[in-house]
Amino acid sequence: MKIKFYTHRLSIILILVMLSFLTSCQDWIEVEEPDNKLVSSEVFSSDETAQSAMQGIYNQLYRASFSEGWLGSVTVLAGLSSDNVELINTNALDLLQFEQNTIHPDNTYNRTLWSSAYNIIYMVNSLLEGLEKSTKVSPEVSQRLEGEAKFIRAFTYFYLRNLYGEVPLVVNTNYEANATIEASSILEIDEQILTDLGVTLSLLADVPNSAERTQINEFTAKALLARVHLYLENWELAEAYSSEVIAQSGNYSLPTDMNEVFLANSQEAIWQISPLGAGTGLTNTNEGSVFLINAFLPSLSYLKISENLVSSLTSDDNRRIHWVGYNEDLAIYYAHKYKIQNSTGEPIEYSMVLRLAEQYLIRAEARANQNNLQGAIIDLDKIKARAGIALLSETNPEIDQQALLKEILKERRKELFAEWGHRWLDLIRLGRAQEILLPINSDLELTDLRYPIPSEELLRNPFLNQNPGY
Amino acid sequence: MKFLFKQALSCSIFLLLVMLSLTSYGQQTIRGTVSNTEQVLIPGVNITIKNKLKGTTTNFEGQYQIQAQAQDTLVFTYLGYSPQAIPVGNQTQINIVLQEEENSLGDLVINAGYYRVRDRERTGNIAKVTAEEIELQPLVSPLQALQGRMAGVEISANTATPGGAPIIRIRGQNSLRKEGNYPLYIIDGVPINSVPVESNTSLGFVGVDPLSTMNLSNIKSIEVLKDADATAIYGSRGANGVILITTKTGENQKGVQARIYSGVSIIPKKLDLLNTNQYLALRKQAFINDGVEPDEFNAYDLLIWDQNRETDWQDYFLGGTANITDVNISAQGGSDQTHFRLNGAFHKQGTIYPVDLNYQKFTGGFNLNHHTKDNKFQLNLAINYGIDQNELIGDGIDFLSNAFKLPPNAPNLYLEDGSLNWTDWGEAGLAHPLEGVFNSSTIEARNLITNLNLSYKILEGLELKTNLGFTDYKSDELVKMPKRSYNPAGMPLHRSLSTDSQRQTWIAEPQLNYTKQWDKLSIQALIGSTIQENQYKNFSVEGQNYVAEALIGNLGAAEKLLNAQARNIDYRYQAVFSRIGLNWDKKYYLNLTARRDGSSRFAAANRFANFGAIGAAWIFTEEAFFTKRLNWLSFGKIRGSYGTTGNDQIPDYGYLDAYEATPGPGGLYPVGLANPKYTWEKNKKAEIALQLGFLKDKLDVGISAYRNRSSNQLVGYPLPSTTGFNNVQANLPATVENSGWEIEVSSENINNNKVRWETSFNISFPRNELIRYPGLEQSSYANIYKEGHPLNIRFLYEYEGVNPETGYYSVKDQNGDEIYDQEDKTIIQDLTREYFGGINNTISYQGISLQFLFQFVKQQGSFSDLFNAGFPQNQIAEVTHNSSSYAQVSQTLDAFLAYANVTESNFVIEDASFIRMKTINLSYSLPVKWIQSLNLNQVKFFITGQNLFTITDYKGMDPETLQGGTDFSNLRTFTGGLQLNF
Repeated sequence: MKIKFYTHRLSIILILVMLSFLTSCQDWIEVEEPDNKLVSSEVFSSDETAQSAMQGIYNQLYRASFSEGWLGSVTVLAGLSSDNVELINTNALDLLQFEQNTIHPDNTYNRTLWSSAYNIIYMVNSLLEGLEKSTKVSPEVSQRLEGEAKFIRAFTYFYLRNLYGEVPLVVNTNYEANATIEASSILEIDEQILTDLGVTLSLLADVPNSAERTQINEFTAKALLARVHLYLENWELAEAYSSEVIAQSGNYSLPTDMNEVFLANSQEAIWQISPLGAGTGLTNTNEGSVFLINAFLPSLSYLKISENLVSSLTSDDNRRIHWVGYNEDLAIYYAHKYKIQNSTGEPIEYSMVLRLAEQYLIRAEARANQNNLQGAIIDLDKIKARAGIALLSETNPEIDQQALLKEILKERRKELFAEWGHRWLDLIRLGRAQEILLPINSDLELTDLRYPIPSEELLRNPFLNQNPGY
Repeated sequence: MKFLFKQALSCSIFLLLVMLSLTSYGQQTIRGTVSNTEQVLIPGVNITIKNKLKGTTTNFEGQYQIQAQAQDTLVFTYLGYSPQAIPVGNQTQINIVLQEEENSLGDLVINAGYYRVRDRERTGNIAKVTAEEIELQPLVSPLQALQGRMAGVEISANTATPGGAPIIRIRGQNSLRKEGNYPLYIIDGVPINSVPVESNTSLGFVGVDPLSTMNLSNIKSIEVLKDADATAIYGSRGANGVILITTKTGENQKGVQARIYSGVSIIPKKLDLLNTNQYLALRKQAFINDGVEPDEFNAYDLLIWDQNRETDWQDYFLGGTANITDVNISAQGGSDQTHFRLNGAFHKQGTIYPVDLNYQKFTGGFNLNHHTKDNKFQLNLAINYGIDQNELIGDGIDFLSNAFKLPPNAPNLYLEDGSLNWTDWGEAGLAHPLEGVFNSSTIEARNLITNLNLSYKILEGLELKTNLGFTDYKSDELVKMPKRSYNPAGMPLHRSLSTDSQRQTWIAEPQLNYTKQWDKLSIQALIGSTIQENQYKNFSVEGQNYVAEALIGNLGAAEKLLNAQARNIDYRYQAVFSRIGLNWDKKYYLNLTARRDGSSRFAAANRFANFGAIGAAWIFTEEAFFTKRLNWLSFGKIRGSYGTTGNDQIPDYGYLDAYEATPGPGGLYPVGLANPKYTWEKNKKAEIALQLGFLKDKLDVGISAYRNRSSNQLVGYPLPSTTGFNNVQANLPATVENSGWEIEVSSENINNNKVRWETSFNISFPRNELIRYPGLEQSSYANIYKEGHPLNIRFLYEYEGVNPETGYYSVKDQNGDEIYDQEDKTIIQDLTREYFGGINNTISYQGISLQFLFQFVKQQGSFSDLFNAGFPQNQIAEVTHNSSSYAQVSQTLDAFLAYANVTESNFVIEDASFIRMKTINLSYSLPVKWIQSLNLNQVKFFITGQNLFTITDYKGMDPETLQGGTDFSNLRTFTGGLQLNF
């Protein structure tokens, strides 16, 4: 009897233990979110975290290939495509393709240029959708972030449109739809850019400027609007927006010392990107590290500027003196706008995106096109005066419109070289690329003025078509 | 757990006492010995009294003692021997001679994971390798020892660096995702995460083998479960097969074993490359052909570098000798009911590279098993601990590519003082090829695997078992990056990269087993449940600007800590499983298995799924019809199985739409696309097999045909960047089919008193096909896969020979649009193995034993490197010797583009089949009479060779590692050693 009793009791206990395992509730496999992730709804549950999401975009701009200023950036690649920037070492074949205007659709720089831009656009779209769904972010913060984010989207599309032409217009995070999206027309893209910038303008109108020039404000939007309208040949609007920026003389001015232009939060800066965004501990800009000559082993440096560009600058031009360097070992000229190649302390320079000098040049061009030649000369001379070279009002006040427009283009090259591919985009929008580039690249074809859509994109999205000529 | 153990123990002792007191009337003590036909006493023989819950086992001297009544019958059973039943009567001394069972095939007991089954009776496909076959191989990875030994199991070493994870595929690639194809690893009942451990070292690409801390000599057997019948009980984790590793226990043996071996490894092959004269001649020719004036930028090797220097860079980088030392000591012993085994081992391996780095492994193991006298309660405890210390070069230094590509007249890499020669390389405008060479990395991994298995027979035929397991894998990795590793021009800082990861798993699996025999029907049933939790933690941080090189790694001495990243991942898993095995008259077998699984890797709505399988077997030689007519056929079985398994090998939390911190300060950003809809990959497996034994089972043949279909493919679905990212986790409506034949033959060629010669042979004919993918043409996969073709394909251009006008390679522009793109890649090259297998021979003659294994593979591969003659890198000598097959020597961009195209064409495809002498082992044991006086049981000398030679037409380094042709993963190794048993 005893045996039976004990075995029974034991087996009952054990079976119960087991049954409790078997039937244990299904909630057991519920796991907590990992502590390195924040679910999207939580990101937009407070002003503070929502602002962090915007800061995330600013940070990532310094890590996104197209905007970071390193070899894969618009600054370098479009610089190489134009007649300003050249490779020191022609063994870098992927880069050489940009310089020779023979970009292969497989080119890795071209691919990251494209994909990094769309990644930034995704971040913007995700933020906008998060704000829209959120009920907890205060209206003031929500509006401000929307304004800033839409600026970034417009800014990114500006470069995609001007480098590639017709590209897909992605304005939400629905990947199923965006994986099979077709390219939009140039017209639609321009409309989207203008709409976004319009929203930015209205939402940021009463927001005070922050001390750091890395944050978008209403004048950043106006500065870009001025450029966009210039590209669209809406001369009046281009003039109007640039005038509004120039009128902010308390905020923005042209430093007389050329060495101060690219400093962090310089008086001239309308928008800059901080190198702290990389999170690597390095505080120099990528432009500084890629354009300056390696002091120890000059031959390991990457980029030089063309002799043609240097010879367009007279020897007394402050830009020739302060923004162009010469290396004896290599016997080459290099861009010396940024002074710091390598630093780890507090950042001294920021990566410049929009600055006042461009606004003067935009207005000069807009005025010249509206036949306000005198107004144009005044603006152009602002730039010449700072460069310390002869003023047009003194040397040739009676210049005709066409000559003046040519002079403005020349001045744009001298002022904006090695910055954000201005030269390449100028030559294309003005239809002068072939005339100017053919002498240095006899194989240049009209279709080379648009970069190829990366072949990987075409593989993955059958609804995209390659640009002509590739 | 403690509670359970104590209670069970005290209860069983109590039961025993009660039983003894109840049955003492009429008892007599019976003593005796049990031996085999060769008069060797057998320890551990089970002796039970028929129809009573009572029994004992023989001790180490083969003696036993038991209380029984005159009317009782004693039953003697021992694995591999025919059971005997002896009525007690009035005997007090019963000495038994057990007969070995003739049918060795049938009595091999196979571990099927949750249950054991006799090989003769199994309904599923399970392959087994035992210690004897693998333990002497000088390998770090236990799985690599299986190469060539099992049908259907494809293993490639992947890297020649010790500690790297091999690639293992059981019956082909099921998942479209490379990382979704790992089998399930189970060590003594505890699942081990089979995903390679991440690393920042040079092993980063292949990952660190999570089994590298195992001691190969401590493994008793490895079983591989292949078909539905065997794997369905593992449910969602069984799709890619299951590998069961069982460590040695102390049962049935006693004594101390010490073994030591040491040896060397060298590179198995060198490529025939150009010497300086040939190289420079080609380079000069290139400029002449191109009509280009050499200058210091495009012809530094002609104008700046010494024209008479000659370095064999293969010798320089890969010509070293790696030393191997291995020491292994184990002790086992115990009493009749309790056995233990202790094991300690040390393994050290150097490198062939010109750096002083070592791999070291220390392992220790303890195994304890105990059963009560009545065999009602059983306990088995296994603790295995391993420390693995791997010194590696930092990531980014590519000795391989330097060995093959550096021009033979390239300048010195080092200066006389041992620092890197920046100036000479800098002058040529090149980055130093060894930039980073002083970076050292150390991975220190500690792995604890413990398992406690308790079982208690509640009633006759009813047994409660609980399996409790805990594993703790910790890896500390430190990459030191001193200044001198980097070009001073970049103003480098002393830096370090620390990565600590930890994987912890605990598992509890209670289960009930029931066995019952009704007349001719016997039933074995099992029901159980699993709860499991895996925690993964990872922390990494970069230390920057240390004051001195000696302080690198001490984070306190770093001026700045950067990029700190912490992650912890929690994975929970829950399941109920059951199995019913039926057998009628030992002729007809039916096996049903089922599992319901829940996994935290899926969003709440998709967490649970059911899996199951049915298996059946018919031993037709048991039928009177066959026994009468086919007496040459000693054994014949037909079996088949069908069932479903799943695959949940996807990253955790993939369904969460989440943000993470940006590397820059104060920011948050989305790091990927989220898809809450995805669910399990399903894998349906079917198999039919025939097993035959001829000539009293001296020749055994097994033939299986299988077909596995994986559907609902869960992949990181590649997306265009317009979506913001490159991929998203999603289920695809695609079906991948793996089918094939496997043949295994084993024969006992000679077996007499002096000579024994056994041969085993296996061959697999795998077939892999993407059979269905509706909408493939519109999907992102349109140009990666093709319906009706295997997954492992490449789309290639059609090679058209050298263009007579330009002298460059040309490939066919299929659509005539003058652009070379995917549309022109019309050749579909299958890179799946056509067949593969191995043949193993064991010959023993008195004390001498010889074992050798050949591995063979039939496959196509590519050699797509080292023939762009004219460019400033070394080439295969064939470009000079046989220049008519290659393009005109040139260094232009167009030549480069033509070369890039031809490496994507069928020009580079060649037969990469091979036969390799994988391993050979010769041992000699001294005759017992010589060593008896020394109190030794065995003295054995042995020598072992690995990868001694390879027969192949393949031009590259190693046909097992087909990455362009310059990679290799198998070193040639020779070792010799001594084993002593006390």
